Amino acid sequence: MGGQSGQISRRDFLKTAAAGLTLSLAGKPGFLAAKEEHDLVVMSGAPATATKAALEAIGGISRFVTKGKQVVLKPNMSFSNPPEWGSTTHPLVVATVAQACIDAGALRVVVLDYPLRPAELCLKRSGIQEACKPIKGVYVLALEDRKFFREIKVPQGKVLDRVEVFKEVLDSDVLINLPQAKTHSATGVSLGIKNLMGLIWDRYSFHSRYNINQALADLATVIKPQLTILDATRALVSGGPGGPGEVQKPNLIIAGIDPVAVDSYGVSVAPWYGQNFRGRQVEHLLVAHQRGLGQIDLDQLRILKGKA
Amino acid sequence: MRTYLQALSLFFFTALFAFANYRLPEWLPADIYLRLDPLLGLSAVLAGKEVIRRAFWSLIVLGTTLVIGRFFCAYVCPMGATLDFLDLLSSRQKNRQGFKGEASWRKVKLFLLILFLGSALAGLSLAYLMDPLSFLTRFYTFFLYPLFITSINLLIDFLRPLFQALGWIDLSHLHYTQPVYYMTFITFSIFAAIIALSRFAPRFWCRYLCPLGAFLSFISPLGLFKRRVGPECNECLKCQKACPMGAVQEDPKKTNLPECIQCRTCAEVCPKGAISFPAFPSPDRVSKLGGEYAAVDFSRRGFLYSMTGGLTVAFLAGRTPFTPLQGKQQFIRPPGAVPESEFLRTCIRCGECMKSCLTNTLQPCFWESGLSGLWTPKMDLRFAPCEQNCNVCGKVCPTQAIRSLSLEEKTHAKVGTAVLRKELCLVWAQDKLCLICDEICPYNAIVFRTVEGYRRPVVIASRCNGCGFCEQRCPIQGGSAIVVVPNGEIRLKEGSYIQEAKKLQLEFKPDPGDDKFILEQSGFKVGDGKDLEKSALPEEKKQPKKPKGFL
Repeated sequence: MGGQSGQISRRDFLKTAAAGLTLSLAGKPGFLAAKEEHDLVVMSGAPATATKAALEAIGGISRFVTKGKQVVLKPNMSFSNPPEWGSTTHPLVVATVAQACIDAGALRVVVLDYPLRPAELCLKRSGIQEACKPIKGVYVLALEDRKFFREIKVPQGKVLDRVEVFKEVLDSDVLINLPQAKTHSATGVSLGIKNLMGLIWDRYSFHSRYNINQALADLATVIKPQLTILDATRALVSGGPGGPGEVQKPNLIIAGIDPVAVDSYGVSVAPWYGQNFRGRQVEHLLVAHQRGLGQIDLDQLRILKGKA
Repeated sequence: MRTYLQALSLFFFTALFAFANYRLPEWLPADIYLRLDPLLGLSAVLAGKEVIRRAFWSLIVLGTTLVIGRFFCAYVCPMGATLDFLDLLSSRQKNRQGFKGEASWRKVKLFLLILFLGSALAGLSLAYLMDPLSFLTRFYTFFLYPLFITSINLLIDFLRPLFQALGWIDLSHLHYTQPVYYMTFITFSIFAAIIALSRFAPRFWCRYLCPLGAFLSFISPLGLFKRRVGPECNECLKCQKACPMGAVQEDPKKTNLPECIQCRTCAEVCPKGAISFPAFPSPDRVSKLGGEYAAVDFSRRGFLYSMTGGLTVAFLAGRTPFTPLQGKQQFIRPPGAVPESEFLRTCIRCGECMKSCLTNTLQPCFWESGLSGLWTPKMDLRFAPCEQNCNVCGKVCPTQAIRSLSLEEKTHAKVGTAVLRKELCLVWAQDKLCLICDEICPYNAIVFRTVEGYRRPVVIASRCNGCGFCEQRCPIQGGSAIVVVPNGEIRLKEGSYIQEAKKLQLEFKPDPGDDKFILEQSGFKVGDGKDLEKSALPEEKKQPKKPKGFL
């Protein structure tokens, strides 16, 4: 498979993980004192360290994951591209969160996606499988068969009545959304809420039958991740969602409980298609906000910015 | 001993078949059995009028046959092993009736051989129809492999509750994508018919039909090892009954040498231990060799008839509109396929490419290009796309009808061009927000341009290599609003696809940021269709240049 540029060597992983660990041991940074008072944490730094710091700042993963819980992580690993392309979540972000969940006593962590490209290639080339391999209790799955989905009702759906969702998500205790920040030719940007489309069976109807922006908001009423950690360490600012396109490096990890707030902030971190936008300008986010799913206006949010 | 070797050979054949997938390492020739087959090699070389490098491997089998004799059929051939194995399973050989018309049937395989070689000379590849290795690989691909996956999945589904109860996460989510093929039923029926023929005689196929066996029987009498019956023989005729090839003559001391596959069954059953296979036959046998060699029961007339038959079939098969239409049909050949007429001549229809295909897009043709195109691989892009990180089809092609290309070369082996059918497209026809084709396109060959107030998809032909992701994912029911047509395909007998693509100013690896480039250009400076430009420009001013999804 040519150059293994997409792969993370174990050594690299251990190095960064060790760096993260050192950071957390080297004395708790001041921002930790203010935990739980912030709606959003925006952490600047390398993927693993920034993720680790963001988790601490949001109050620690133990706020969401306690002993014996079953956790599902939903990164974007829909494409068989290496992390440099900016089309998939950085493997170290996924591995760091997975490790934190295990450390918090999670029974198991399932890293899950329904990929757009051949599953095996996505797992391999995104680097996520390799990065999570050393962590015991973490399973990286890319599932492509309908038998792994179960239909649920969408009581508050405007266009969507029912949707088939991964059983694994429905049956687990905690869902953590780990989207990659990128452009999307249908929805403008693909951030947290758009990332949820990787958990359902029939995504084509979102394009053909429904207004995708309404359908996404409907979906967000039934799939509610406890935590969203947006990977904006790299941002695919054109050619999204699959690339190839221009990749910028905001070097940011944005964590929050409010999915609309995280996405809204995510809109502001990079110029998409060469233009600057606000959250309100992204139709599916605006719809979600209007439906009461979260806060879209950044000035209404208590944001903690930090550097890791 | 023989049974073990046979089982081992069948195992190797099956293992190599299993290894034929996109992860196939460069050094492993998964198609080695097919390369070793001198009939397939000769037929492809004659039909294609080209030197095929991989066909030189078959010299190994020719050489060893010249030295040892027709051992291939008894020890190596996986088809022979399969037949023997199935024979073992059904113990019907005991009450098998004698087969009448034995001598005249025996010639059939010779006729077939000459017929196939004749048709190959005239440019029609037919040997694949009955060559045992191509035949068995086809059966494996189109029948056994899908059946195997189905069975495995059924088993996993059955055990799944157990896995879940035990908390075995990986196993409880295990599922293998089911491969499916158009020609499964036909392939299976033919195979079943041939198995059924074993009812009449053991190894019916090998005795009467196999053209590869016929080919080897021409040279095998020259081999060193010969059956020899000693004076202890009491003419009990047990050997005659036991011989799977019927190679023991009326006089049990005599051997029909071309038919003898050196399986040594006769020696095993002989109560007197009179039969041996000495390496250096006694001088008197050597002097008889000429006489026995003539026992290849084939007349000059028979040769002429079958040769004429082969040529006639080939000429008639070529005299259809399919021939002038070669390369103009609607179907897409795999990337790296040599130009169409050469492709049809050299493809041996083994199905390895279709087995190994990562996405299952490679499907066997039925009558799409007539008799000359049966079982040849085509891409069914509505069903599945061609994955950009896979180049296995060329790697496993024994005759290089699909050239083995590096990933980079394969990316440039354009198989066709996507065309938008605007009357079906949700965006063009119904102003809907669908952009699946753009989302999935690995080469950024689909861009959006503002036309009549909406941003609509447009294909940039010079960036499309025909991989078909767009066609497969298009959500239109019943068809696809974006279809890959063979127009613009690059098919080279030799030389670099990268160079050729460069010459044609094609680019399948766009620079980062080209979407932005298109955006700034608003899609109207890429000089195709001035009418479009005029009608769209005024709209363009009213509509601020915002990407889709932004308000």
